Amino acid sequence: MSSSNDDVQPGVPAVETAAMDAMVEIERADPREELAKTDHDTELGIAMAEDAKRVSRGDISAEAYWEKYDAAAEREFGDAYRETPNPSIQSTDQTIDAGTADSLSCTVGSIESVACEIDAASADEMDAATDGNRTRWGMVIDLQKCVGCDSCTVACKAENRTPPGVSYNVVMEEEHGEFPNVTRTNVPRPCMQCEEPPCVQVCPVSATYKMDNGVVNIDYDRCIGCRYCMIACPYGARYFDFGENYDDEVEGAGEITSPEYGVDRGKRQDGESPIGNVRKCSFCTHRLERGEEPACVETCVGDARNMGDLNDPDSDVAEMADSTRSFQLKESEGTDPNVYYLK
Amino acid sequence: MATDTTHFEFEPGFTDNRLRVVWYAALAVLLLIGGAAMILRITEGMTSTNLTSTTPWGAWVAFYIYFVGLSAGAFLVSTLANVFGVSGMHRVDRDALFAAIISMVVALMFVWVDLGRMDRMYFPFIWRQLTSALSWEVHAYVAYIAVLVTELYFSMRIDLARVAERGSGLRAGLSGLLTLGRRSTSEASRVTDRKWLTRAGIVGIPLAIFLVHGGTGILFAVSKARPYWNSGLFPVIFVVSAVLSGTALVMMLYVLRTKLFDDEPVDRDLLNRLAVLLAAFIVVDAALTGIEMLIAIASLHPHEVETWAVILFGEMSWSFWWFMVGMGWLFPLVMLSKREWRETPWLMVLAGLSVVIGIIAVRFNIVVPAQILPVMEGLPHGSYFPSLVEWATSIGMIAVGLLLYTIGAELLPLTPLDRGDH
Ligand code: SF4
Ligand code: SF4
Repeated sequence: MSSSNDDVQPGVPAVETAAMDAMVEIERADPREELAKTDHDTELGIAMAEDAKRVSRGDISAEAYWEKYDAAAEREFGDAYRETPNPSIQSTDQTIDAGTADSLSCTVGSIESVACEIDAASADEMDAATDGNRTRWGMVIDLQKCVGCDSCTVACKAENRTPPGVSYNVVMEEEHGEFPNVTRTNVPRPCMQCEEPPCVQVCPVSATYKMDNGVVNIDYDRCIGCRYCMIACPYGARYFDFGENYDDEVEGAGEITSPEYGVDRGKRQDGESPIGNVRKCSFCTHRLERGEEPACVETCVGDARNMGDLNDPDSDVAEMADSTRSFQLKESEGTDPNVYYLK
Repeated sequence: MATDTTHFEFEPGFTDNRLRVVWYAALAVLLLIGGAAMILRITEGMTSTNLTSTTPWGAWVAFYIYFVGLSAGAFLVSTLANVFGVSGMHRVDRDALFAAIISMVVALMFVWVDLGRMDRMYFPFIWRQLTSALSWEVHAYVAYIAVLVTELYFSMRIDLARVAERGSGLRAGLSGLLTLGRRSTSEASRVTDRKWLTRAGIVGIPLAIFLVHGGTGILFAVSKARPYWNSGLFPVIFVVSAVLSGTALVMMLYVLRTKLFDDEPVDRDLLNRLAVLLAAFIVVDAALTGIEMLIAIASLHPHEVETWAVILFGEMSWSFWWFMVGMGWLFPLVMLSKREWRETPWLMVLAGLSVVIGIIAVRFNIVVPAQILPVMEGLPHGSYFPSLVEWATSIGMIAVGLLLYTIGAELLPLTPLDRGDH
């Protein structure tokens, strides 16, 4: 209430920055203790760290730093030092010029060149030029972890602002016989983003198609609303937008829409797409594009849902999809979903 | 309208003016109802229907395939005269062709209202999809309508020329236009017409059987997600029941027009021939449906068995037993069982009407039951009965078809001026 408390925001503790810095100091490991755990020279490590701080502050140049330590580092780390690329050349900050780089005994290269080498190596591993390094988004849902709380369904509604009757994700709460060891279980069902999608096959105007990243797209500006794709989808994953709204439940329900497939359509308006079109889960393409996980994955209380690149053999999802517990829904349909389940 | 100076009388259309007024008034009422419903359909969008995301296809799709079938059937009856030269059938060939064209127009209207985005109806001609049966179908329909119009033109041209030459007034003027300038009434021109008629018919037969109606069956049959439709026999049954409804329609129209428009005695031989044909088609249709059902049930595929259970014993089983079996098969078969009855025009109108209505139930029982059971357990069950708007728009669109047919029948020489065979 007093004027001295002007900066204080409700709910935010009034802590001075100095106090916070002090907290960092307390948390920080003691350098000497830390370095003592390694086989390498503690004194050299401390000295290099101190000088590195000076480089940060601009007290000494990066060239001077490396010239000072090059010989010592080579002596200490030997071959490992020489072969590990030192990616400190030609990036915008803390770089050394080419002349200095040449005089160093370690391998030097730009950040970019190092990244390229890593990429090339992993591309070789994948052995096929077919998939290249294109991402194939996939989801793995661990049924042992799913508690059937329907948070994903709710998160999806909130994220994609789907109207009544449209629910990209549902949790099917009865399933008999499909899984040998259970009689009743919760099976969340988004769109499977099938590799061989029957919905794409039947669309008379090619309004729905598979994107390079594995997601099946619907072009709301082209879809004529014939609903043939809904007939063809073996997973009931498609919904028709009848144009209903949550106006009675929520004020300003249609004020904003989700930028599905990266297209911002502004307010929800009568007679405007996607009303009269068919809609479905897009793996939250708009979130993936900005580096976020789909809303359902992020919200899942049991951490049952996982998102990642199935084309990357080292990714969590690829490993899980490869496990013996993994299966797909209706495998016999030949649709080859990109959504895997763990039984 | 015939004048005293020519001894040529060309006045197709109602002989009884009172009947004409009553008929047009009735159509006007139906059109008004349909028009009002159409306004609701457009303003309220698809919420005016009882469709859901579980049952996305309903009455409009059922009527659409019904009219495509009616058209294909009527066309195939016309080819009996035009291609296969079955004697005595020339009397009905134009009628059959004209009804086939009108049916296609009505079918396309049904496709149109069914689109979620009616404003984008021309999109299938801009963007295509090679693997989509529906994409192929819309093109096949256009080609098929072109064949039908060509057929009707060559079948009717010589009479159009005659009317233009000797008649007067509106009909003569219209006929003159429709000859497209080929006004000769010579024997040579008739032979040319016949030749082209046969050629177009030969193109039309595979088009109608395989692409237009068989293709419409394929549209459903390729849907692996719905085991009830996913059967090789399906497109065949589609074609057979189409021919069945088409024959019934042509028979009905023949009697009605001869009686009410031409005021002439019905050709009992021709009637008998059509009736026997109809009976044969009923038997084949019933038999194939039976086989389809047995295969489905014997497969013990749970989805198929349950779908048949829905049809036979479900909420809507009355439509199967009363309309499909009763009106579509049993009642007409009884009517057609005695030669004496087969030669009684009014009984045959009744039998024809019964089949034409019964086949509507066949179409509904194709479209709806497969969408009642959810595609996966745990998803909601469907339940569907058309809404008032769906019924009323359907009635309106059918009324448009009836209106177009009546106007055509009143103006055009659909009955050959030489009364048929040569
Ligand atoms: S789950 Fe259905 S909608 Fe999704 S890609 Fe597969 S067929 Fe298409
Ligand atoms: S409803 Fe739209 S996306 Fe689906 S098949 Fe028809 S045009 Fe294609």
